[in-house]
Amino acid sequence: MPGLGTSFGRGGATTFLQDLQNADCILIEGSNFAEAHPVGFRFVTKAKERGAKIIHVDPRFTRTSALADLYVPLRSGTDIVFLGAIINWVLQNERDFREYVVAYTNASSLVSADFRDTEDLDGLFSGWNDFARDSGASAMAQQGAGGGRGESTYDTSTWQFERNPDGTLRRDETLTDPRCVYQILKRHFSRYTPRMVEDVCGTPRELFFEVCESLAANSCRERTTAFAYAVGWTQHTVGVQYIRTAAILQLLLGNVGRPGGGIMALRGHADIQGATDIATLYDLFPGYLPVPSIQRDEQTLAAYLKTNTKPTGWWNNFPKYFISMLKAFFGDAATAGNDYCFDYLPQLTGDHSTIPTTFAMKDGEVKGYFVIGQNPVTSGQNTELIAAAMDRLEWFVNVDAYENETSSFWKREGAQPGQIGTECFFIPAATILEKEGTVTNTNRMLQFHEKAVEPAGEAVSDAWLFYQLGKKLKALYANSTDPKDRPLLDLTWDYENDDERERLRGEPSVFKIMQEINGFQVATGAQLTGFAECKDDGSTACGGWIYSGVCPDKQTHRARNRRGDEYTSLDWGFAWPANRRMLYNRASADPAGRPWSERKKYVWWDESAQKWTGVDVPDFPANKAPSTPAKPGAAGMDAHSGADPFIMQLDGRGQIFVASGLKDGPLPAHYEPLASVIQNQLYKQQNNPTLREWDRSDNPYNGQVNPRYPYVLTTYRITELSGVYTRYIPWLAELQPEAFCEIDPELAVEKGLKNGDYATISTAVGEIEVRALVSGRMRPLRIAKGQRVHQIGLPYIFGNFGYTSGDTSGDVIPLAMDPNVSIHEAKTLTCDIRAGRRAPRGRVAQDDAVPEPERSRDGQPLIHGREAGV
Amino acid sequence: MANGFFTDTTLCIGCKACEVACKQWNELPSDGLAFTGMSYDNTLRLSGTTWRHVAFVEDREVGTTIVNRWSMMSDVCKHCTHAGCMEACPTGAIIRNEFGDVYIQPDVCNGCGYCVPSCPFGVVDLIEPFKPSAAKAAEYNTATLDRERLSEGALQSHGGIAGKCTLCYDRQRLGFTPACAKACPTESIQFGNVDDLKARARKRVERLRERGVDAQLYGVDETTSVGDLNAFFLLTQPPEHYNLPARPVLPSTHQPAGYAAAALAAAALAVAGLAIFRGR
Amino acid sequence: MLAHPPSPDDAFTGAAGRRDNEPGPSYFEQPLLKRPHWGWNVITYLFLGGIMGGTGLITMLAGRSSIPADRRLSRTAKFASLALAAINPPLLISHLGRPERFLNMLRIVKFKSPMSLGVWGLVLYSGAAGGNVLYELAEMRVAPRWLRIFAPPVLEPLQALLGAFTAGYTGVLISATAIPLWAKGKRHIPALSVCSGLAGACALNTILAIVSGNDEPVERLERLEAVAALAELTLLADFRRHAGALGKPMFEGKRGRRLRDFTAIGGIAIPLLLNVMGAVLPMPKSLRNARSVAASALTLLGGYVLRETFIEAGKTSAGDPHAAFRQPE
Ligand SMILES: Nc1nc2c(c(=O)[nH]1)N[C@H]1C(S)=C(S)[C@@H](COP(=O)(O)OP(=O)(O)OC[C@H]3O[C@@H](n4cnc5c(=O)[nH]c(N)nc54)[C@H](O)[C@@H]3O)O[C@H]1N2
Ligand SMILES: Nc1nc2c(c(=O)[nH]1)N[C@H]1C(S)=C(S)[C@@H](COP(=O)(O)OP(=O)(O)OC[C@H]3O[C@@H](n4cnc5c(=O)[nH]c(N)nc54)[C@H](O)[C@@H]3O)O[C@H]1N2
Ligand code: SF4
Ligand code: SF4
Ligand code: SF4
Ligand code: SF4
Ligand code: SF4
Ligand SMILES: [Mo]
Repeated sequence: MPGLGTSFGRGGATTFLQDLQNADCILIEGSNFAEAHPVGFRFVTKAKERGAKIIHVDPRFTRTSALADLYVPLRSGTDIVFLGAIINWVLQNERDFREYVVAYTNASSLVSADFRDTEDLDGLFSGWNDFARDSGASAMAQQGAGGGRGESTYDTSTWQFERNPDGTLRRDETLTDPRCVYQILKRHFSRYTPRMVEDVCGTPRELFFEVCESLAANSCRERTTAFAYAVGWTQHTVGVQYIRTAAILQLLLGNVGRPGGGIMALRGHADIQGATDIATLYDLFPGYLPVPSIQRDEQTLAAYLKTNTKPTGWWNNFPKYFISMLKAFFGDAATAGNDYCFDYLPQLTGDHSTIPTTFAMKDGEVKGYFVIGQNPVTSGQNTELIAAAMDRLEWFVNVDAYENETSSFWKREGAQPGQIGTECFFIPAATILEKEGTVTNTNRMLQFHEKAVEPAGEAVSDAWLFYQLGKKLKALYANSTDPKDRPLLDLTWDYENDDERERLRGEPSVFKIMQEINGFQVATGAQLTGFAECKDDGSTACGGWIYSGVCPDKQTHRARNRRGDEYTSLDWGFAWPANRRMLYNRASADPAGRPWSERKKYVWWDESAQKWTGVDVPDFPANKAPSTPAKPGAAGMDAHSGADPFIMQLDGRGQIFVASGLKDGPLPAHYEPLASVIQNQLYKQQNNPTLREWDRSDNPYNGQVNPRYPYVLTTYRITELSGVYTRYIPWLAELQPEAFCEIDPELAVEKGLKNGDYATISTAVGEIEVRALVSGRMRPLRIAKGQRVHQIGLPYIFGNFGYTSGDTSGDVIPLAMDPNVSIHEAKTLTCDIRAGRRAPRGRVAQDDAVPEPERSRDGQPLIHGREAGV
Repeated sequence: MANGFFTDTTLCIGCKACEVACKQWNELPSDGLAFTGMSYDNTLRLSGTTWRHVAFVEDREVGTTIVNRWSMMSDVCKHCTHAGCMEACPTGAIIRNEFGDVYIQPDVCNGCGYCVPSCPFGVVDLIEPFKPSAAKAAEYNTATLDRERLSEGALQSHGGIAGKCTLCYDRQRLGFTPACAKACPTESIQFGNVDDLKARARKRVERLRERGVDAQLYGVDETTSVGDLNAFFLLTQPPEHYNLPARPVLPSTHQPAGYAAAALAAAALAVAGLAIFRGR
Repeated sequence: MLAHPPSPDDAFTGAAGRRDNEPGPSYFEQPLLKRPHWGWNVITYLFLGGIMGGTGLITMLAGRSSIPADRRLSRTAKFASLALAAINPPLLISHLGRPERFLNMLRIVKFKSPMSLGVWGLVLYSGAAGGNVLYELAEMRVAPRWLRIFAPPVLEPLQALLGAFTAGYTGVLISATAIPLWAKGKRHIPALSVCSGLAGACALNTILAIVSGNDEPVERLERLEAVAALAELTLLADFRRHAGALGKPMFEGKRGRRLRDFTAIGGIAIPLLLNVMGAVLPMPKSLRNARSVAASALTLLGGYVLRETFIEAGKTSAGDPHAAFRQPE
């Protein structure tokens, strides 16, 4: 989550769910909190009970809206305008929390004189390298074909801060210098006016003002406002910048690191946080350490460490974590002499995330496919393309607890199994109740769960699968002398279960795995008590530094802790880092270390004990006094003063302006989604110039603004259902027995659709049929020039397997993604709708004999697939 | 004093966890798969095999089609002070248990069905066998196996008897909170001693009214013949919006008039008969 | 599956929306009350129970008469009573599903439950009828005479009393429910049950009398039937007026026409007319008997349709939330 990472320092929610009850105002935007996170929502209702104002901003009136004090409709895909206009309002009316802003953010930093804003460049920032323009095509004409977009990038050198000769940042604490971040921000958002909110978002002005007033009135020394979002903000081609806009606003309002404040990023699947922590993404190692890449100067350990070690702030410790990780990976084989086996690591050659890899598969460049605990043929986009890509595989391994649309892709409507050559393997997976282990929840908190029942039939845990696979591979190469097999042979793999029965079954010990993640002293084998003990000299091993401290000795597993209280519950589970529940909580005290107010007391400096104290683990060096000055030119934490709360950042402050780390700009700018119903009202630049798209005949786009697809389509989940496993449960199936879409009564009349009728939704990709649920909860919006916008809501969790069934939304969504995190665009689309059922699906693309090579506009192959060395 | 529920609709998020938890704990079958188009309510009513039901009331501003309120309410057997079902039951299957709740003893019930029309809230119903039609199964293109197995299993133990909320008699005896209340994430369903709950509810109404919410209690200080409800509700709209009768009537109150009328008719006819047969 | 298929109107008005032609808000027009699960077996039970009760009354009336033919009538009626009492438990069992479930009814006596009282009424009635039959058998010397000690003189009026109860309680049973139509008829329905029960009993005994060649008392039976039928018609008309809108499911539409044709006209008016014809017009005995049998058959049919209408209309009434929201006190 680089939106949060670049702004605050870590890519996780800044706060925890239980803290929401202390908020005086909660802005829920980009999430259907009550429906998708019902248990966490109890703390929202608690806040409401205590008098907090709950605001829900969403294209649809949902169960969350029903519980909110204020529901604010907006057109999907326009949150930057909405939030940007609030930022503008706050700045114009000087309603920011000035003391906080000056002390804890980079508002006072001066930006390079060469920086040019979207104001000057009509929607682009300085440093734009438009490869496509170089090859003679305008940005607009690119839309037609090719797919070259996304290859153009920004050169970020003009986005940098000015520095004093001693290396410290140049600042203007009066915030009046025209080149200071505060003034740049003011100019940048000046065109984000209430009028724009009406014209672009379709949100009535009075509602907008009520939101502004509520936020400002509840953000001060005495009061705090919390934001909560989820994938309503992320699944956009500008998703990261949505979150950036929220981060800027929360910094201006002085709410980050304070009780009842912060940004609650609601994570999805039970362990999605853990999955990114320890680390399923192709470009990250555990603890968010980057995988070396040929696109960066990272070909030797020294070069890699140089690129990634930050001179100032906590990340100055980078080598300790990385080398300890290599020691955990390769054990005794990793020595200072061989750069701790750095050469064993793979080097990235490009974007190997899901979407590019799927295209590569479709184009015949990927021959085998492991799908473990995922159901891309339903939850992916352009699911026919995904399935057609799978038709071309040589082999396919599926590990799942249920038969689903992916495991049986060859049975899909219109497919001809006889012509599909893919060899398929299905390995039954044990469900969460049938195995033990930890799950890391949205609070960054690890919780251990026991095995409740024996796995059904031949099912095995996912850990078993990887453990046994590793063991088999090691055995296979045991006698090899080929140096290229060394990484496999040197890999530490000692997770044998102490429990006799489990050992016979082949199940590894998840406790031992966690102990290795926690880290230990190489010499003695003693567990590390926290990541502060990590060394960069090979004397410590630590598999995932952020989790360090979870198993501080050989017996303890703090994720098993089950002593809770009404608030921070420090003895319940273990939250990374170092069991802190709220990040950046130093900011809950003023620069002098005193609580901002009695009411909002959380962590403060205890003068007598000379340490930080409070109800949480301080997210700050424990004994560093508030008055400690920054040491100019010093490295690491010494470069920060005792009043710089954002310890992961170079300057110790919250980043309103982000100089590096983002591909689409240092500040958020509104771009329309890939497909929209309106031209961008703010800039000439229609959509995110850096978004990635694949405009090809098997992935056609509706076009920027196409009158054939006049309605906004958005997809989301509903409480009653989740993945395919919920569709197999009769009790859940009866609650939502069939796929449906939600439309407003006006559109229903226009289209001759009656409540409960079948409706067919179509895009350039294809069409699906679902039942129509006509409801006044959906409301048409009026935007610029009196244009009437109808939004159609489409729950995405349906498929063909299970008692409840229906077409999946993925059948009508083309593949496209954002530049920063490669997330798909599933929240804002365009479509058409008609009454009646769709045509049966006929012969499908599997018959295409020749894979369609993906080419950029100038005919050059794109860097993915074969070129990228997948 | 009795144990019961205070269901606060202002806290309900319509997650249906209560409905599912109830079915799971009591091993009740699914009632079938029908898309109703009626808001998010596809089960529509309490039944012999649905003992909690979450209603979705979509209200709107007068004169527009825009919905501005969406009230969710988890309905359940009211465990009435004067329970129509219990009075009607000829076998004594329905009792008031040691927790003050109205409980159907499944081994005593003989399926006569008299409790069904005798409940002024339309709660209790007979459990009828669920037969998924072949056409339905094909339409949903799913294996119906689990569903059938589930319903069969339940029917073997409950078949052809009346079913309604037991107020988790079995759980209460073990000292557990009823499954629905336990599952409710927002404490919309609160379980406990009814007097305590009433006190809490009155305070809650006061606080809501201070905030300008038009809250009222349903089933507390009842002047109707059913008396106070041991499962009572906090509503923000007229009861009919939630499919609740504003003035429920205890059916047995009709009996004296009925017996009198019958006796009168019989007496009159007997006199006539005596005249006719004696008159010779 | 759905009582009310969804219509776009639901979407426009929302769950609690008010439509002009509706008396008030409701929840998607969903029924408030549950329909009674009573079918042909219960209808037949109510019908035969009424006749059985009426027959009990006839047993006593005819038994007290000084005319020997009347006493013969009483004897036939006693046998008929017992036969009817014997049919009812199997009917009830066919509704309950399993024989032991009938016994379950006798676990307790519950004065608050008309169904409990009714079953006990049925059992006691069977006992009384059995005693009286024994008495008659002894009188007929089919059985030992000493058996008459089981039928003290009080048994005849007792059977009559229990008969009146069994005819009446079926009405109390259905009207002591929440079903708006039935509750509205808390006086009318029990009274109607008694009248219709006695009319049906007269009709049945008329047929039995003619079949057994004892047609002398038929005229008196017909007069009693006329009184009961007239009372029934009056009550029915008054109920219609009294029930107002709640009476819709019973008195309007297809079911209303059926009630009119089979019960009001076919089951009451025509038999009355036939009976009057029989009384005033001289006709040969065979024709007279044929007329009596026809009139009786029509009365019985009308009585059945009345019970069927009660039950079926009650189901419809249960399905109307607006009716159920105005539960009659
Ligand atoms: N019951 C249930 N719960 C779940 C899941 C499930 O499948 N079922 N999945 C889990 C997972 S994996 C995740 S990631 C989370 C997701 O949690 P959420 O993000 O809360 O859920 P969604 O329903 O995907 O989308 C949230 C809302 O975004 C709105 N939206 C669409 N476009 C826009 C926009 O442009 N701006 C704004 N402001 N809002 C927009 C939609 O109308 C929707 O109400 O839920 C988790 N919880
Ligand atoms: N249109 C649209 N598409 C979307 C979204 C959207 O909002 N709109 N949301 C996106 C989001 S946020 C997400 S997270 C994805 C979710 O998409 P998926 O990750 O595909 O999620 P599920 O459907 O939950 O599928 C998970 C699979 O894991 C299996 N499973 C469960 N437990 C285990 C286990 O212990 N081991 C193994 N091996 N398998 C197990 C289940 O049976 C199921 O088949 O969908 C994305 N797709
Ligand atoms: S499904 Fe699990 S993670 Fe989601 S709200 Fe319920 S308890 Fe929480
Ligand atoms: S609500 Fe109905 S079923 Fe429940 S106790 Fe009252 S009368 Fe009985
Ligand atoms: S169905 Fe069972 S519980 Fe209901 S009245 Fe009859 S015996 Fe009693
Ligand atoms: S108390 Fe038990 S039986 Fe009653 S609704 Fe709740 S879970 Fe179901
Ligand atoms: S569990 Fe609670 S919040 Fe969810 S529907 Fe039931 S009562 Fe409402
Ligand atoms: Mo997700």
